[in-house]
Amino acid sequence: MKLNYFAFSLATSFALAFAFSVASLNSAQADETCQSPYMSPITGQEEYVYVWTLGMEGVGDASDKLVTIDTRPDSDTYGKVINSLSVGDRHEAHHSGLSEDRRFLWAGGLDDSKIFIFDIASDPSKPTLSKTIDSFVKDTGGAVGPHTFYALPGRMLITALSNDRDHGGKTALVEYTNDGEFISTQWMPDASDMKGALGKENADGYNYDVRVLPRKNVMLTSAFTGWSNYMMDFGKMLADGEAMKRFGQTVTLWDLHARTPKKVFKVPGAPLEIRWARQDNHNWAFTTTALTSKIWLIYEDDSGEWQAKEVADIGVPADIPLPVDISISADDTKLWVNSFLDGTTRLFDISDPHNPKMVFEKKIGTQVNMVSQSWDGKRLYYSSSLLANWDKKGEDNQQYVKLYTWDGTALNQEFEVDFVKEGLGRAHQMRFGAASLYTSG
Amino acid sequence: MVTYPRSASIVLAAILWTVICIWPPHFVAADGSTEDFDQRALARVATPPLGLPKVFIPGNNPLTAAKIALGRKLFFDRRLSHNRTMSCGMCHIPEQGFTNNEVATPIGVRGRSLRRNAPTSYNIAYLESMFHDARDTSLETQIFGPLLAREEMANPSIGFVFATIEAAPDYEDLFETAFDEPANAHNLGLALASYERTILSANSPFDQWKYGGDESAVSAQVKLGFSLFTGKAGCAACHLIGDESALFTDHALHNTGIGYNSDTVIRASEEPVQVEIAPGIVIPLARKTVTSVGLPRLRDLGRMEVTHDTSDLFLFKTPILRNVALSAPYMHDGSLRTLEEVVRFYDQGGHPNPGLDPLVQTLKLGDNGITALVAFLESLTGDNVAELEADGRSTEIGN
Repeated sequence: MKLNYFAFSLATSFALAFAFSVASLNSAQADETCQSPYMSPITGQEEYVYVWTLGMEGVGDASDKLVTIDTRPDSDTYGKVINSLSVGDRHEAHHSGLSEDRRFLWAGGLDDSKIFIFDIASDPSKPTLSKTIDSFVKDTGGAVGPHTFYALPGRMLITALSNDRDHGGKTALVEYTNDGEFISTQWMPDASDMKGALGKENADGYNYDVRVLPRKNVMLTSAFTGWSNYMMDFGKMLADGEAMKRFGQTVTLWDLHARTPKKVFKVPGAPLEIRWARQDNHNWAFTTTALTSKIWLIYEDDSGEWQAKEVADIGVPADIPLPVDISISADDTKLWVNSFLDGTTRLFDISDPHNPKMVFEKKIGTQVNMVSQSWDGKRLYYSSSLLANWDKKGEDNQQYVKLYTWDGTALNQEFEVDFVKEGLGRAHQMRFGAASLYTSG
Repeated sequence: MVTYPRSASIVLAAILWTVICIWPPHFVAADGSTEDFDQRALARVATPPLGLPKVFIPGNNPLTAAKIALGRKLFFDRRLSHNRTMSCGMCHIPEQGFTNNEVATPIGVRGRSLRRNAPTSYNIAYLESMFHDARDTSLETQIFGPLLAREEMANPSIGFVFATIEAAPDYEDLFETAFDEPANAHNLGLALASYERTILSANSPFDQWKYGGDESAVSAQVKLGFSLFTGKAGCAACHLIGDESALFTDHALHNTGIGYNSDTVIRASEEPVQVEIAPGIVIPLARKTVTSVGLPRLRDLGRMEVTHDTSDLFLFKTPILRNVALSAPYMHDGSLRTLEEVVRFYDQGGHPNPGLDPLVQTLKLGDNGITALVAFLESLTGDNVAELEADGRSTEIGN
């Protein structure tokens, strides 16, 4: 077992070294800003946006689907839906992630824990379903709710959100091969088993996002809530004092190679998305807390110790704007922050990461969740849905994907796809594709 | 120097090994089966823990080890819901008092909202009726409601459930072994009831004092709480205590005002919602914000929904109080989060409403009395909680 682990560490180290070489060569033309560092880059115009979409009762076939939007500016179908691949039934479609070769898109269902692996390489304009994993809970020994899909060399790192014993927030970090074969389950550290990590007084065993910084051999995970909460009617949950006590309050720092937790930080109020800075001398990452509406900085201090501190408010925290997705610019100077309840996107100047300053804000819709920006930061795609039972009700339940261009001072809408009118459902995560990724020369 | 023959060492080792094997009691048999648990469950029902009366076993469902094991497996099988996410055990969680401590009212398939708190499974062998509104009459039949209810396990039909069981290789021969026939609507209920009937818990500090004669088993504060419970506070008028055993229920339904308050006052409230956004940080959130992301609170008329008798409006069943310290939050809607909140609710005379049960009156117990009553309620926790949790977890969760 130790031999296997050593072999894996060695192989990973080589892979990391290779990835660094590639990253260095392409430092001015790297990937869109929030993807795994092991991934091939889209250096120019994204040609397709793949939207992992929740089925919505009464809309179309009411099933989850992968929707493809044509984003080639010179195309006759620019800004239009050119393909919709239904997977049948609703699984609480949520996040998706590309394999490191960008040939496959893994997309998860937070409800029944099914994972759908789409082939987006054979015909990037028309993805096909390559494989379905319906044994995630059994494979992993009880992890529920596959969330983040994060590419490592030859394998997919997956955060879970819950478990099959009580549908609470205790959960795990999971790995599969790129072929969809289960490798391992690592249960999150909690007070009963810290797995050698510091911060027992903080640990809660929760999980949400995962991101790595290979050159420092570190990995960060954040903490959301369990199935009972993320599947619950949002209004009911807000009024349930017991349910509100069951949110994650931690960010965990890991040894990337060994997959062992090193330190658990107290980050109150459900820290969600994690974004590492991209520059070689920037040893820091941001996360935002959904309930307390704060920007947190995780950074390496002058003595080499990793620290976490709150650095800015997002909107008026007392109004619970509910920050959700964030996106960092390629040069580490800007951070876009979406907040769901006020439907607003905000831009923070993070030139000094210890003192972010809000420099711009705009209401995108009655509700907004995800934001994906092109590498040059000139195009930002926004989508609407958070969770099926958390989305707004009635007329405020706008479901869309919108493209805006950013000229440095204003966001200008380029197109909008109405996901209800199109009979699609609730638009959630967006990933970029391009046919040029799969051609030589 | 004293020497011992080698044979003596072997005998000694054998004795030691035997002691190790039988003490402490094993939670899982050497072969990984649940056989030990089944046998102990049978023994538990045959001789209930101190403080519990004899268990009634229906003539059509004699208790057997095979039925207990099968019922336990079914109870924790998430495949028995429409999209394979919910089992009985997802709302009746062994480590959470066989209820769900983490929500006021649970959610079912696809996150659909339930109106009522999940009642504990502890000691349900003694219930004369099932559910908060007493709409079912036996453990053998109650399962079909949750299996088919759209907001619970949401199976499209009972036939769908049996198709699921028949397709699962791990159920091969289990029904045949337990019932000499394949799974059907009758024996499914018998199996689940057989397991549920074994979740008996007592021999609590209270039992050891009251029925065991051990004066040191409880504190003076608990004894004061008991005297209030059976005296000034009047709790024992509904939560009955017998001379030889106690179930702490009259099996009847009452209007305490919780149902009225939940269905009328809270549902119509325009007040901000107090939201705990992080431990110890509570902020008032505008009601319109909450309603913008929430479906309207469902109405709940209590027993009247079953009988259509207006005199049954807001009537809910008296729960058994054994292990009550483990089954928060409380009341049929989970609206009270601690035992102290419950006692204070009764101390103030419940919620006034036209149908308020005359047994619910202002008590004026004072803080000392309230504290004593809470201490008494906390003394009702049985001594076999860990055993019953391990019993439940001795079967693999069906995924």
